[in-house]
Amino acid sequence: MATIEQPVTPASNRGLFAGRRGRRIREALQAYLFLLPGTLLLLAFNLLPVGYAFYISVHKWRIQRGDFIGLGNYLKALGAPMDVVWVVGGLSLLAGAWMIWRSIKPETSGRGFLLRGLAALMLIIGGLALVLGFPDMLANGDEDLFRSLLITFFYSLGTVPLQIVLSFLLANILFQDIHGKTTWRILYFLPYVTVTVASAAVWTSIFEPRRGLINLALAMLGVTEENLPQWLFEATGIGTLIGQWLGLEVPAWAGGPSLALVAVIIYNIWVFVGYNAVIYLAGLGAVPRELYEAARIDGANRWELLRHITIPLVSPTTYFLTMMGVLGTFKAFNHIYVMTKVGRTLGFPQGTTMTSSILIFKHFWERNQFGYASALAFVLTGVMLSLTWIQNRVSEGRVFYG
Amino acid sequence: MVSTTATAESETRKYRIRRGIVQGLLYLVLTLGAVVAIFPFAWMLLTASKTYGEHSQKTFWPAGLTTRPYTNLSPVQEIVVDMHPTDAWHGSIASFSPLMEGLIPVNEVSRLVAERLEKKDLALPLNVLILALDTTNDGIQNYDRFVLTVDSRLAEQFTTRIKLGQWGGPDYAGAPRGRWGPHFRVIEASPDQLVVKRGWNVWYMFFGNYIIAWREANFALYTRNSAIITLLTIAGVVVTGTLAAYAFARMQFPGKGLLFTAYLATYMIPWTVIMIPDYLIIVGLENFFKETFGMTNAWYNNWTALTIPFMVNAFTVFLLRQFFAQIPNELFDAALIDGCGHLRFLTQIVLPISRAPLMTVVILNGIWAWNSLQWPLIVTNTADWRPITVGLSSFITEASAETQLIMAGSVITTIPILVLYFFTQKQFTEGIATTGLKG
Repeated sequence: MATIEQPVTPASNRGLFAGRRGRRIREALQAYLFLLPGTLLLLAFNLLPVGYAFYISVHKWRIQRGDFIGLGNYLKALGAPMDVVWVVGGLSLLAGAWMIWRSIKPETSGRGFLLRGLAALMLIIGGLALVLGFPDMLANGDEDLFRSLLITFFYSLGTVPLQIVLSFLLANILFQDIHGKTTWRILYFLPYVTVTVASAAVWTSIFEPRRGLINLALAMLGVTEENLPQWLFEATGIGTLIGQWLGLEVPAWAGGPSLALVAVIIYNIWVFVGYNAVIYLAGLGAVPRELYEAARIDGANRWELLRHITIPLVSPTTYFLTMMGVLGTFKAFNHIYVMTKVGRTLGFPQGTTMTSSILIFKHFWERNQFGYASALAFVLTGVMLSLTWIQNRVSEGRVFYG
Repeated sequence: MVSTTATAESETRKYRIRRGIVQGLLYLVLTLGAVVAIFPFAWMLLTASKTYGEHSQKTFWPAGLTTRPYTNLSPVQEIVVDMHPTDAWHGSIASFSPLMEGLIPVNEVSRLVAERLEKKDLALPLNVLILALDTTNDGIQNYDRFVLTVDSRLAEQFTTRIKLGQWGGPDYAGAPRGRWGPHFRVIEASPDQLVVKRGWNVWYMFFGNYIIAWREANFALYTRNSAIITLLTIAGVVVTGTLAAYAFARMQFPGKGLLFTAYLATYMIPWTVIMIPDYLIIVGLENFFKETFGMTNAWYNNWTALTIPFMVNAFTVFLLRQFFAQIPNELFDAALIDGCGHLRFLTQIVLPISRAPLMTVVILNGIWAWNSLQWPLIVTNTADWRPITVGLSSFITEASAETQLIMAGSVITTIPILVLYFFTQKQFTEGIATTGLKG
């Protein structure tokens, strides 16, 4: 009991810092001291640079700061001001219509009709605005930007769904009662752990048209030399390639991503399936066992257990992985750089692997257009934010947070 | 009665068989998946053991991974090299005149060396001309320069004095010290003759590609750089992270909510946006240090630019704060009564019980730091502080067609992180899993 009666340390008895109030001030000061190093660094290299980036983006800035050109860089990227108004306005109207539509509940039946009408109206106007503005934007804006967005879109679409499905299946298998769980986990996790530059270099040599492993295997299966795919050297879209293979004429718009991009997508899936599976495993572990038992007593079979218990209950994980996957494809740099750039030009072949982040790097680093690259970065951020917003809305009511 | 037990038995057997099939299928799928996950590593290791010729001839299994090259070696041999004065030196290097010359016949080389010779249009048998110079003129022991030439082409130079037993052997055309060919060692040196022992160094022969890659790409320097950069970044992140996380989790102060939101906001800022201003800030700091302190490369091309911007990250702060906040208040109250301040409480009580989250922080930040490519690409343009990722990516450009060397370089780059992974794989996967759940 001696400890309790022991007087408060002498330092805290003195002057300003005396008493309870003093202790609070002292604690606050100490807290600021604790936060100082981290906050300074965050301010200097994370928060203030956002403002600085905007400042750069409204200037003509090639290594040295040039003239103030206002939104010139943005307009160079997105076309005429009216195009931007049409497209952004149209998209907002569509989003608004969708939100109003979702907000209509049976209880609001009185105003429901009115709201429905409003939503329909917004839908029509928004759609019209898009139809009117978008072609103009494509025509007036930076062709490279839209092309890179399309490529990034293909990249996301090729990567994320497959990645999610495969890792979900893998996690479910690993979650069963099997031997050597740790060993399997180590093996599947290896691709994620490997240094990106190294594993991308390895895959580059695997995709090598003449001596790479994949084409060696294809040659063994009887594919003749002139029919071997060129992988990272192939700029033709896979739609067109499949068409050629089947002997069909495929229209240009259905060409799809280039085979080179497909190779990058395969690499990406290889890296992230194990990683996603580990996260899914944690999600599966959090599902209460009793639910399965109860359902089994009610006579549910394996498929029903999966469909009605597992999938809904791991939906937060699915949502998280989807979001991270999509944002990851927008940010991806290292492996695309190694697989397509090294020894060649950015976006090789023929710019068909020029995703948005590579495009920004190209403007920044190869062309030294700091202002324009910053503007592009903000445009890309806008796209990413809208995607996140859409994903949030879509997942609303579908993601079950227990 | 009998019949019912029989049916029950057959039921359970049926069930067992079905279960067995399902299990078998599961293992089959798992194995196939594991093969897909692993085969690039196998390909990397296989290719790194091939010679250039084997790779271009699409040989699947390299001879270097069989016993043949290491067992069918001609026995160790002592060669006496007569050194006699040179009078007419017409070699490619006109700037010096050697005193003595002698010949080492090379009749047999390893496959790797043979291929490298072929590339340079050299054929066996090879006569390596050894030229000795003496600038102090006091006998063979003090010849201070030896030059080896093959077909009057410079192969290797020693600028140091010859020391018995130290000489690795001639460099065959371009390879840095080709000790994996036959391996030569000077065992006796007298003014008019050298006694050279010819043998084979199996170790060097086996790791030939790795040694070439290591030397050609300067991986020693890059690995050191990467290690320092990674360690400094981790240290910075842990210090700033624990302090900030502790303040957010256990201290009361005005503006807490606002500051926390600011930290949260940095989590959302995409790297592409701040990359350019960060680069300009580094350039600005560099110029500032140059003008005020007269220091060049205080930031650019230095560890400062490579580590300091990454010495804090919001993710670490969140992860640790989450953990710190779960520590029971009673523990702190008890410590306070014992006259323990926040700092002491943090270092002596909180940190020791937070080993698991700290481990996660260390591992994840370690991987990120070791992996970073874009930023070092931007803020370094000399080799001084170039990390291994940039080193490897420029080596890929340089070696372009020599896939076997690129693969050897990839192995070198990957090994440190794989070692870290195997030792910490439990915390590793658990850390990843928790980060995923936190979202």
